Amino acid sequence: MTRILLALFLLAPLPARALTPDEVKRVVQTVDERQRNAGDWRSLCYMEAKEKDKTDVVYELTVFRRSADQKFMILFDKPRSEQGKGYLRIEKNLWFYDPAVGRWERRTERERIGGTDTRRGDLDESRLAEEYDAKWEGDARLGAYQVHRLLLTVKPGVDVAFPQIRLWVDEATHNVLKRQELALSGKLMRTSLYPRWKKLHSESKKGDVWFPEEMRFYDEIEKANQTLILIKSVDLRPLDPNLFTKAWLEAKSR
Amino acid sequence: MSGRMAALRILLQIAFRDLFASRAKTLIVGGIILFGAVLVVVGSSLVDTVDAGMRASIQGSLAGHVQVYDARSKDPLALYGSMMGDPELTPFEDFARVKSAISAVPGVKQVVPMGLGTAMVSPGNLFDQAVAKLRADVRARLAGQGGPELEARTEAHAAHLRRMATLLRDDLRQATEIIEIGGKEAAERARNAEDLARATSPEFWDEELPRDPLAALEFLENRIAPLALEGTLIYIRYVGTDLEQFRRAFDRLEIVEGSLPPPGQRGLLIGKLYAEDYLKLRAARRLDQLQEAITLHHRKIAGDEELTRWVKEAGGQTREILMQLDPMQAAEAARRLRTALGSGEQDLGKLLGQLLAVDDRNFAERYRIFYGELAPMLQLYPFKVGDAVTVQGAARSGYTKSVNLKVWGLVQFKGLEKSGFAGVMSVMDIDSFRELFGWLTPEARAEIRGLKAAAGVKDLSREEAEASLFGSAPAAPPVVTGPVAAAPPGPAAPEQPHPLSREAGEGQGGGAATSPSDPDQGVALNAAVILDDPRHIPQAMRDIVAAGDRAGLHLKAVTWQEAAGMVGQFVTLARLVLYVAVLIIFAVALVIINNAMVMATLQRVTEIGTLRAIGAQRRFVWAMVLVESVSVGVAFGLVGSAIGAGVVWLIRAAGGIPATSDRMYFFFSGPSLLPRLGAGSLAVSLTIVLLVSVVSGLYPALIATRVTPLEAMQSGED
Repeated sequence: MTRILLALFLLAPLPARALTPDEVKRVVQTVDERQRNAGDWRSLCYMEAKEKDKTDVVYELTVFRRSADQKFMILFDKPRSEQGKGYLRIEKNLWFYDPAVGRWERRTERERIGGTDTRRGDLDESRLAEEYDAKWEGDARLGAYQVHRLLLTVKPGVDVAFPQIRLWVDEATHNVLKRQELALSGKLMRTSLYPRWKKLHSESKKGDVWFPEEMRFYDEIEKANQTLILIKSVDLRPLDPNLFTKAWLEAKSR
Repeated sequence: MSGRMAALRILLQIAFRDLFASRAKTLIVGGIILFGAVLVVVGSSLVDTVDAGMRASIQGSLAGHVQVYDARSKDPLALYGSMMGDPELTPFEDFARVKSAISAVPGVKQVVPMGLGTAMVSPGNLFDQAVAKLRADVRARLAGQGGPELEARTEAHAAHLRRMATLLRDDLRQATEIIEIGGKEAAERARNAEDLARATSPEFWDEELPRDPLAALEFLENRIAPLALEGTLIYIRYVGTDLEQFRRAFDRLEIVEGSLPPPGQRGLLIGKLYAEDYLKLRAARRLDQLQEAITLHHRKIAGDEELTRWVKEAGGQTREILMQLDPMQAAEAARRLRTALGSGEQDLGKLLGQLLAVDDRNFAERYRIFYGELAPMLQLYPFKVGDAVTVQGAARSGYTKSVNLKVWGLVQFKGLEKSGFAGVMSVMDIDSFRELFGWLTPEARAEIRGLKAAAGVKDLSREEAEASLFGSAPAAPPVVTGPVAAAPPGPAAPEQPHPLSREAGEGQGGGAATSPSDPDQGVALNAAVILDDPRHIPQAMRDIVAAGDRAGLHLKAVTWQEAAGMVGQFVTLARLVLYVAVLIIFAVALVIINNAMVMATLQRVTEIGTLRAIGAQRRFVWAMVLVESVSVGVAFGLVGSAIGAGVVWLIRAAGGIPATSDRMYFFFSGPSLLPRLGAGSLAVSLTIVLLVSVVSGLYPALIATRVTPLEAMQSGED
């Protein structure tokens, strides 16, 4: 009997060991580091948003990034009616340009990109360690994956779309598989899933850069609303030095 | 017959004798009836007049006789909005079909397409607006334009920005002196101070700006503008319509300033009340409110909490005024104010503070100085008639859409000028509405379908997503090569400019022409139907729905009152309040009359018994009591109705009841209410009085019939 009990005790899964604050920090830094590019970035994306009782919104757009000074720009390519519209982030300013009216407008980090459930941060470089403080919540399974579950809280004075984030990080690869964004009150606002990750070699980084090939965002307030992003191609070659300017984006529409 | 008449005469004689005999009781009972009758006549005349006025206003401004929308809509139509905001209506995708079906209904004169919505105008903060002006100058220069006029304009715009930056620098210095901060915020403030020092330096304006104007502009926009006051977002409630048809259908539309857009032109007409209440420079708006309160309503600032607050708020708006003026304008404004106020103060900010520190004694003078000396140099509204503004709409299908529209004028609807619901309504051309609505042409729909098909995406609901995406781990690590992993490093291929879409070019500059196509071709949310004869509204509504059914459409027809939503319900509410008041008064009257008559009956037991003894039938006794209660009711009811009619006549003769608030203005459908006495009001009054008199007499009459001669004799023995 004692032997059986001992065998059962030995076979039973060990309770998960809590990650120390340093380990949690390292996990988040690794998540950022794997996606960090240390150079220029250009990706072609497909974006599709579904909202209750509305016609689906579909875009093809190009995302430009420059790691050196955290520049970021989105240019809408399709459909024709949206062509030439763009977002440009310079320092803390997120600008929106509409060539139909020839105007720039100041927007906030909470801006829903193209009216979908996407935020600027979803397409930008991951800066979680810089923007948030992380805490280990537990280890769990997500489908076939063993994951760390972390809770991130925004650092004071940082402007982000969501003040709290819960992450499910794949223990094996340190890729984020699932993400929940929460309001300050703790209310769940959005759930994101990242089922497919890809990597490619970056000359500027002298290493690999990982990116989610597919992102699915589910609105937790309006349950019927969801957005899908597919990153169709990524180009890491240097971009035009004057690319991240209003003049450049305006010139695209002339 | 003559016997009955004689009996009635006797009954009346007895009734009036009794009424005169107990005058106190008669006067109390009659007074209550009289008051009720007056209330019914005056109250119903007032409510009927409000009803008629609002009907005329609402029918003549937005609703028409009948409103039609899609029966499958999620919300009921509410022309002036509801507590939940704009109603969600299923759009008519092809309005021409709807119009054709409704126009075929006999008696239909006109069918006007409509689309209600809320648009946004985001002018940015004052610094952003000023940078946008300088950017336009720089663009013009880069495009090869030149000349002394452009030079002068550029110089003025640059000087304005430099002055604003100087004001911001002074603000920051002041803040630093008052509050000491540390850490990250201190570093941020130091950087802001550095940026402001650069933005106010002669090197920046004399060297940096001419050398690289675009880079200088971006510095101002990204580093200085965020330090200025936050910009406001302006929301405009509008009805998008075919302006020509709308003008013909609604005679209440009144252009206060400007004009209707010429045929074929796009444009916006802003609600006058909205411009005054929400768009006007806040200091000016507060002064206007004070002026109205003091001159129209004879209120005093001293001791009035609200007016004192307005004075304080007006005084707190000097920064908004200072930021508007370029250096030359600021110097001129200071000179004018020094002269007008007789002050030796040099600082414009302090002079403005003096000007806006109003009290009961100096208000009239200060108000005159504000509008006479200062206002001509200020932009009192974020845009004026003739300006082009960028209007955005949260499209129902698709993302935010923007169009540039010229503001052609200010409008109001006669009778609804002061209504917080209706007076704020603006009018827009139907093409712009369709663009803001995000109406997709068949080609645009096909393009989206094509993009979706090319992406080949599998739809996954929230519930099935996790299991489907993470149910099994990948057998092998993810693909390790990227699309260009093997490509040699080097500069990317030069960008090809994006060909602009046709739609993109059309909106430039504002006031663009509408498409030459039929304005009925396209989407609309609802339709106003004007009938040849408004008396046939119920029949027309039935016919319209039937015509829709025949055409395979799902039409819902509602009256103007139903379509007006909350606004339309106000009259019903007012009537309800009146009816409840009348009901309470007459219920009280009924109880009192009943009690009084019961008492009177009990006091006259001997008399009634004697009457029975000498042969009076129970029916005679019953009638005797009833005639008495009806006599008092009818007599005092008639007098009450006459007094009520006199009150109505007096109110009219005195010029009506003046509206003392915006809400009353709306209820009265104008500046005063001139009640009309209707035959209906009199008839209703008399009917109610008669009914109450009869009912209140029934129980005492029943008691009287039970009196026997024996009881009379016994009571006499007591």
